[in-house]
Amino acid sequence: MRRRRILGPKLVLAALIALSPCLAAPSPAAEPSGDIVLMAYPGAFQDNYVKAVVEPFMKAHPGVKVTYNPGGNSAQMLGLLRAQKANPQVDVAIIDFSVSRVGNKEGIFSKLDRKDVPNLADIYDEARMPGDMGPGITFDNLVMLYGPDQVKPAPTGIKDLLDPKNKGKIGFSPAPNVIGIALQIVVAKAIGVGYKAPIDPVIAELKKIAQNVQTWQATPDNYTMIINGALALGIGWNARAQFYADKSGGKVKSIVMQEGGILDMDTINLVAGSRNPAAALAFIDYALGPEPQKRMAEAMYYGPTNKKAVLPPELMARTSSAPATLAKMIPVDWDYVASVQDQWTERWRREVIPAQ
Amino acid sequence: MAGAAPPAMAADAPYLKLAGLAKRYDGGQAAVAGLDLAVARGEFVTLLGPSGCGKTTTLRMIAGLVEPSAGRIEVAGIDVTKVPAHRRNMGVVFQSYALFPHLSVARNVAFGLEMRDLPRGSIERRVTEALALVRLAELAERKPKALSGGQQQRVALARALVIEPSVLLLDEPLSNLDAKLREELRDEIRDIQRRLGITAIFVTHDQMEALTMSDRIVLMNAGRIEQVGSPAELYERPASPFVAGFIGRMNRLTAAVTASGGGRSRLDASGLSLMASRELPLGVRVTVMVRPHRIRLSARGGGAGEGNAVRARVRKLVFAGEAVQLEIDAAGLVLRVEQPTGGGGWVPGIGEEVAATWSLDDTLVFAER
Amino acid sequence: MKRAVAAAGPLAPAALLTAIAFVLPLAWLLRLSLDRSSGGGMLVDAVTAANYLRFLGDGFYLGVLWRSTWMAALASALTLLLSYPLALFLARTRSRWRGFLAVLTIAPLLVSSVVRTFGWMVILGDQGWVNGLLRLVSLTAAPLRLMNNMLGVLIGLTEVMMPVMTLALIAGFARLDPTLEEAARSLGAPPRKVLLRVTLPLSMPGVLLGSLVTFVLSISSFVTPKLLGGGRVAVLATSIYEEALETLNWPFAAAISVVLVAVFGVALMLYERAMRRWMI
Repeated sequence: MRRRRILGPKLVLAALIALSPCLAAPSPAAEPSGDIVLMAYPGAFQDNYVKAVVEPFMKAHPGVKVTYNPGGNSAQMLGLLRAQKANPQVDVAIIDFSVSRVGNKEGIFSKLDRKDVPNLADIYDEARMPGDMGPGITFDNLVMLYGPDQVKPAPTGIKDLLDPKNKGKIGFSPAPNVIGIALQIVVAKAIGVGYKAPIDPVIAELKKIAQNVQTWQATPDNYTMIINGALALGIGWNARAQFYADKSGGKVKSIVMQEGGILDMDTINLVAGSRNPAAALAFIDYALGPEPQKRMAEAMYYGPTNKKAVLPPELMARTSSAPATLAKMIPVDWDYVASVQDQWTERWRREVIPAQ
Repeated sequence: MAGAAPPAMAADAPYLKLAGLAKRYDGGQAAVAGLDLAVARGEFVTLLGPSGCGKTTTLRMIAGLVEPSAGRIEVAGIDVTKVPAHRRNMGVVFQSYALFPHLSVARNVAFGLEMRDLPRGSIERRVTEALALVRLAELAERKPKALSGGQQQRVALARALVIEPSVLLLDEPLSNLDAKLREELRDEIRDIQRRLGITAIFVTHDQMEALTMSDRIVLMNAGRIEQVGSPAELYERPASPFVAGFIGRMNRLTAAVTASGGGRSRLDASGLSLMASRELPLGVRVTVMVRPHRIRLSARGGGAGEGNAVRARVRKLVFAGEAVQLEIDAAGLVLRVEQPTGGGGWVPGIGEEVAATWSLDDTLVFAER
Repeated sequence: MKRAVAAAGPLAPAALLTAIAFVLPLAWLLRLSLDRSSGGGMLVDAVTAANYLRFLGDGFYLGVLWRSTWMAALASALTLLLSYPLALFLARTRSRWRGFLAVLTIAPLLVSSVVRTFGWMVILGDQGWVNGLLRLVSLTAAPLRLMNNMLGVLIGLTEVMMPVMTLALIAGFARLDPTLEEAARSLGAPPRKVLLRVTLPLSMPGVLLGSLVTFVLSISSFVTPKLLGGGRVAVLATSIYEEALETLNWPFAAAISVVLVAVFGVALMLYERAMRRWMI
């Protein structure tokens, strides 16, 4: 009796170990199979991405099952990936490019081969990451948000942030958030110095803006606060601004500032040590294809990174991929920014945020 | 002790006077139902009764800790019914001692004096005196926790006395102590009270404490006074079967009056014929009570003088040191009897036939209501 | 020796749980705080005190430490001041509503502090109730800045902490024999003096416990300073959040966390010392 109880599980285990090579063996055809885990943002992004990309992919590749794992914001996802570095539980991750750059350097993500990902050939140069690491799948860009009922005439750029009549009605996220960093680059351009130049005059200008700021921590976010009238002006991202503009019946609108915008993107990345790279690469290639990108643009106004994605002109105009918008983007050397980001952030913390 | 005469009080105006004092908790039965009592200056009065009889509530009303529903409390002719506790100048000693655990013995005793804003020197002197009075001078700097129960209660006594209260109120102060200590402190409290000539109200459920300490006892039951009197009065001339039963041990029989006349009545208690020392209406049901140690046993009976005598058989016999406790069966009625040991009384054996006799004075008779 | 081992036997699961739940994460945090982070949040294996030196050598971060400490201390004091009468009432009332009132006091604990903080934003904002009322009676021309600053954080923290403090105080009052207050009254103490000389000193264990808990919860609270501070109230918890989730400088975030744990340690030490003074 006692013997059997001890032997039982061992036998089962042995049988499983013996069988497992057969279970995991790749099928002779090129068609990928098995399970993969995709980690990306929770919330509305998850709902739309599952419908626009994950489910159509599984229909096209019935042998592959994709599990969507909502990992939080980009930094939290990087944290999870760091913790699993020795034994990754995730195969593909979609995170912000400013964070995926860190992952690329730490060896958390793998380089992509064009043979495995043919769609790479059609990706905009702006969406390419150095060394053929995971490229951008969606474009977004920095915009100025405003409430059309409160700001008349409509704002045009940095000067509206400095206008005393907007005092106490402005809200946006300061550095180290990408919005604050990006705004600093735009302000540098507005006062006619490059963002690589000494930043004292830029900080001085930001301190003037700071005096008009109501909150650095808009809750739940500044889009909503503009809609309900608690704020009049803010800095945010185009895709969400378009989404909220529709949802609120135009109570929040957005413009690309006259000084220019900053391009942002989410990248899709192959996790180094993925246990099913074939299926993971198939998914990445699919996600970079024109059709899924078009569906994401339709659902959430994310600009496609695939040149071959064709959108109706009026939709195209509202995404970052519109040629007119792309033309206004300020080119940024993100390696440089990464190297000075901590210094910038310290100046914001000490001088900009406390400015009254 | 029990026979100590109460101080003359009829002549004096009462010092503490309770008039129609009542406490009714919302919705419930009255805890105290209309109490009248006059206490003379320097008198030691005990409120005695079973738990729930209202004695503690009465004490707390005097202290000002419970608001009466009706009635009046006067001290030295002044109505204090509405005076808050902290302005009544009552010294209260609680059953649980209620010493402030965060203060030293000396600071506990000084508390009431500090509340009266006395000069520091005067406070120190009086604290020292009060602690000397209860023989605890050397423990002044200790915390209460470091003291024995008896010592703690003596501190509580000193704390209550040092403020020179109008009345000293003691709420079962001895019941948390062991027997030997209880007796010691009993004498000490009584001694101090006499020496200071302070008026004291003492609450207890222990008849022994009441008998040994009091000038007068107020026996309470269900919120009412059953009897007020000296310990001897309550013991020898209880006003009701309740009083008789509460104080000391009692045999209790029911009987009917079969004959009456010449200042005597003849009673029949289930076949036993007994005599009572007063005239009672014929046919009335009565309760007959006699204390076990007032019954004499002898082999043949008879004996001198008027009294009651019954034949009985010894059923049970227990040696209890100072006395032998027996149960005897008299025509089916069981009587408890106590015979002193050491030659003071004859002790029969179990099963022996005996004669039990007691005097008419010891035959307490109460007409049934 | 053997007996000691045998006695430890039943404690082994608890010890293991403690090790897994507390000791290991803390050890990991300590180790991480000695690593380095290179530009953009890349994690570099190292053994260096650089993160601590950065924190301790920089007026800005020392300011954060100082601000966190006085914010938590002030929030605890305000909470105590408001909770004490409430707890005393709840502990003493004979009202038949007592249970209901107690539940009402503690009910906020069932609501996440995020939601409660949102509630305060509705009340304290420029378009909020308070400013609306002030405008209505024409007391103010421009709205008063009641949030997006330290004032808002203190108001929010105080409210968030009140149920916890009240619970600790009620537990403290439960151990206080009401007879002691009666004794004080009979000795001539008016209500104010009863409170000051008897009730307050004897409720010190509850006061100290409540203060310790609210201090620790306040200084480590993240949601309230973040949401009601408008990004202007930089405290240890918000700094840890920023370093961990925005600048991705995990080693520095770990070092600030260790500093926070050290503050807990100091608070606990002061608590123990005060308890020895007041425990009777």
